[in-house]
Amino acid sequence: MGATEQIFESLKELPEGSVIALEANSEAYFDVIRVITEKIPKHKNLDVIYINSTLPANSIINVMELLDIKRDNIYFVDCGSSVLLTQQASNGHIIFVESATMLENIMLKVEYLMRKMDKKKGKLIFIDSINSLAIHNSLSILSEFMHILFNNMRSKGAYTVVLSIKEQSSDEMSKALTMVCDEKIDVKEEW
Amino acid sequence: MPEEKQEKVFSLPKKGQRNRCKTGIDTLDAILNGGIPRGNTVLITGSCGTGKTTTSLEFLVHGALYGENCLFLSVTEASEKLLANLIPYEFFDDSLLKRGKLMFIDMPAIYERLGLQKSEFSFEEIDLLVDALGDIVKELKIKRLVIDSVTSVCFQLKTEEKIRDFILKLGKKLSDLGCTSLLVSEILPSDARYSTYGVEEAIADGIILMGNYERRGDLLRTLQVVKMRGTTHSRAKYVLDLTPIGVLLVPMLKGGGE
Repeated sequence: MGATEQIFESLKELPEGSVIALEANSEAYFDVIRVITEKIPKHKNLDVIYINSTLPANSIINVMELLDIKRDNIYFVDCGSSVLLTQQASNGHIIFVESATMLENIMLKVEYLMRKMDKKKGKLIFIDSINSLAIHNSLSILSEFMHILFNNMRSKGAYTVVLSIKEQSSDEMSKALTMVCDEKIDVKEEW
Repeated sequence: MPEEKQEKVFSLPKKGQRNRCKTGIDTLDAILNGGIPRGNTVLITGSCGTGKTTTSLEFLVHGALYGENCLFLSVTEASEKLLANLIPYEFFDDSLLKRGKLMFIDMPAIYERLGLQKSEFSFEEIDLLVDALGDIVKELKIKRLVIDSVTSVCFQLKTEEKIRDFILKLGKKLSDLGCTSLLVSEILPSDARYSTYGVEEAIADGIILMGNYERRGDLLRTLQVVKMRGTTHSRAKYVLDLTPIGVLLVPMLKGGGE
């Protein structure tokens, strides 16, 4: 079984409000994007709030175009463009956060999108990735951020998936994820 | 413990609970356990750019949408300019202005009508002003009032005694009329107190402190309910965002006390 199928099979039956840590190698990055932004939303009829800090939203959009993924139901909270040092204009599908250190603002933008988006559809919140947020934030504040955001999303019945790249992670990060997530899914190279 | 008994232990007392004036800002209402106790005079205080006027306006717009008559008394800025700079709220309805649910009056026009042209008001003139404001609230059946800013009014009162006299009398009058009011107070970022003259904060029924909090080069807008008579409330600091769907608030992260 390939990584795409493996991730999809692990996520497709999860109940509403689940909070999942997805631990994967960087080679599986595109598989993760495909499952989170296309396969699972299609399977469960979800809108996606994509919190990106690894890459700017426009770079991810380029990747999605290459993968031929439709983006009508995807909304970005973009913390990855602040490093570009160019002026960014938010539009209907991308909201910029000035810095990846402004974790409260990430929560506020997620809240804003939750209220703006179609109430009838379910929501999936995707953090790409916890490791890139850890470049800018200490583990203690990051844990607090996850705890508040995840519980808030859980209470609203939204799915939350947080990506952790194995090569960039640490034991401390892994423990923190164990504490705030319902389940950890280890994406193996060979299933 | 039987379920029924446990529920009794944790349920809030029904008696003595005051009617609430819902601000319409969900998280703020949650912080206040349902809203501002009706009739309270609340100081909304902070330095420039912290969102005092915007938050106060939203309080009025929601009130008008709930069917209450609401009044914004503008002391320093012309109402037209204020409206032009208003965030284009998605929930704002122009008909609120046309139907007189949401009203704007410039305070200098009231001063002029009362003949209050001096740089310092006497105690008699303060009484005149308080009576005039009370009459406006009564005549227009105002249930929510914002004075932006009370600091500018106090500037013409000069002494602590006069400021105390003005706020006490105004607060009493508004409370008697069942009007919940927000008095916008301007302070310097460095101020250790909640009002310019130090008197307003002691007399007001509530204090909502708004601030700019700098953390590692990021400037966050914050809100904290310091005091609110008539209700239990959180005293924690929240981070806010001013958006077209209104003020949004989330708890400020502490990062393990870093």
